[in-house]
Amino acid sequence: MTTEHITSATDASQEDIITIDKMNKWYGDFHVLKDVSLKVKKGERIVVCGPSGSGKSTMIRCINRLEEFQKGQMFVNGIEMIDDVKNIEAIRKDVGMVFQHFNLFPHLTILENLTIGPIWVQKKPKEEAEATAMKYLERVKIANQALKYPGQLSGGQQQRVAVARSLCMSPEIMLFDEPTSALDPEMVKEVLDVMVELAEEGMTMICVTHEMGFAKKVADRVIFMDGGEIVEENTPDEFFDNPQTDRLQLFLSQVLQH
Amino acid sequence: MTKTTTGAMGTQARVFEPSPAQPAPVTSTGAYAWLRENLFSGWLNSLVTIGVVALLMTLLPPLFNWLFFDANLSGSTQADCTGDGACWVFIKVWLQPLLYGSYPTESLWRVNLSLVLLFGTLASPFWLPKHLRNKVDIAMLLALPFIAIIILDGRLLGLDYVATDYWGGFALNLFLAAASIILGMPLGFLWALGRRSQMPMARSICVILIEFFRGTPVLALFFMGSVMLPLFFPEGTNVDKLLRVWIVLTLFMAGYMAEVYRGGFAAIPQGQYEAADALGLSFWQTTLLVILPQVIKVSMPNILATAVMLFKNTTFLMIIGIFEVLSTAQNALTNSNWLGGFSTEAYLFVAVVYWVCCFSMSSVAAHIERKLDTSHRS
Repeated sequence: MTTEHITSATDASQEDIITIDKMNKWYGDFHVLKDVSLKVKKGERIVVCGPSGSGKSTMIRCINRLEEFQKGQMFVNGIEMIDDVKNIEAIRKDVGMVFQHFNLFPHLTILENLTIGPIWVQKKPKEEAEATAMKYLERVKIANQALKYPGQLSGGQQQRVAVARSLCMSPEIMLFDEPTSALDPEMVKEVLDVMVELAEEGMTMICVTHEMGFAKKVADRVIFMDGGEIVEENTPDEFFDNPQTDRLQLFLSQVLQH
Repeated sequence: MTKTTTGAMGTQARVFEPSPAQPAPVTSTGAYAWLRENLFSGWLNSLVTIGVVALLMTLLPPLFNWLFFDANLSGSTQADCTGDGACWVFIKVWLQPLLYGSYPTESLWRVNLSLVLLFGTLASPFWLPKHLRNKVDIAMLLALPFIAIIILDGRLLGLDYVATDYWGGFALNLFLAAASIILGMPLGFLWALGRRSQMPMARSICVILIEFFRGTPVLALFFMGSVMLPLFFPEGTNVDKLLRVWIVLTLFMAGYMAEVYRGGFAAIPQGQYEAADALGLSFWQTTLLVILPQVIKVSMPNILATAVMLFKNTTFLMIIGIFEVLSTAQNALTNSNWLGGFSTEAYLFVAVVYWVCCFSMSSVAAHIERKLDTSHRS
């Protein structure tokens, strides 16, 4: 992978597609997210990193309401995140998510995994949903596996299917929650390649990942979280070459040393 | 094995070639080797083999003599049973009541038709094309008990009315078990869902129902159904005895199934719910399309065990005076024309018929289990 940066599709005039304002979350008495504020423009690519337990996964899981927050405000694509089924449904329509452990449905074929959302949520006819699904499977280079079951695919293939499954719902925003952490090293690249391609097409992306090479190549902004707070955020060049806080310096020295 | 060539970068690179596969070591094969390995591998094993063969040699000949060689098959009265062997004449004469109870002979085709529908539906994984299977299967299964009742009762179809008092025999065991299993499975799933629900009211109701029907002996439930339940109905209404029994069996099945499903739910990773949520599937879509099939797959062995148990429990109906197969057999044994002590033949017949059915259930379930296993199929 070269470190040549992909030029961003965003410019300053574009509107914020995600606005998070002083979001706070507790698990019981444990304060997981502390006054997290973040603005994401349409087409922007954000990489979130930080030590484990820093709240980075929790933060992006709040964006499609897999987790609730107790204090603060969030708007996703103009819809306020409140405790109302209509709002939650509308937000989930715009947000796709890829998980660390793929979470494909093991009892359905690859093709059925891709069409279950379009058919049941978007009420598309089966033929149309299958045509779209095959198009995305083609894109992640896995169309020949369409009739197999997830258990028969390698980790890398499963994760590419998971990406295609999200894309079938034509989301505005894609969330990636450590998409390569559960993969064998030789499969990391095939998944990252798919993500890079997606970035090149101008998808709004928020990725929690430890792949620093990916961050350098793709990200418009890199965010460092620790202890439930956003400690530092910067452009990739500044972020890696000129870290401002001692905490980030320590983290980078630990991550990049090997 | 490696050899050196000049690589693309201009440097010397060794080309990796996998070593050739070796054939497996040759061992002695054939009957002799099999015998040696399985029956006479050591002195203890040899001793056990000889002992078992000796035991079979002493036990099997008399058994076969009684079952087949000395058995009486022809004739139609007790007097025809002259040999030392089994009196299969007894079973032959009583076969119709044992299988069909006192259902009128000229209408027996209705019972047979219902049985064909039942087995045809149960065997649908073997003959229905895959794309039709899920929807058609579920619809057919759920409609089946009611279709069978309409056919057997006859009034709606303009056929002769046969009151439930005349229904009986092994067919009744089959129908009652099938109808309760078919309706108890989805009901149990609802109870299991309720038990997991966030709503305290729904949860408590489901817990009470599950624990009551699981914690009470099925015999006590039958008595409650036949004696106590009518007290709750308004004066003058007469709810059919079989209907009451069916309700009791269904609730009993539901209670057990709810617990079976609970184990299945516990085996579903949280990620499955999250993925369904992220796709925007609703609660019921997630439950029915994503969770239920996986729960059923995980619980299949326990579902089968519970279904077989319920099927065997239908013989308890004898005690509350329903003419299922076992009470018909007892009835025949006390008949004044057949007082020769044919209980061995009668109970053996019931046991064999039950065994054949339970074994078939196991086979179908094993087949379904294999079909559902998508984990490592290539």
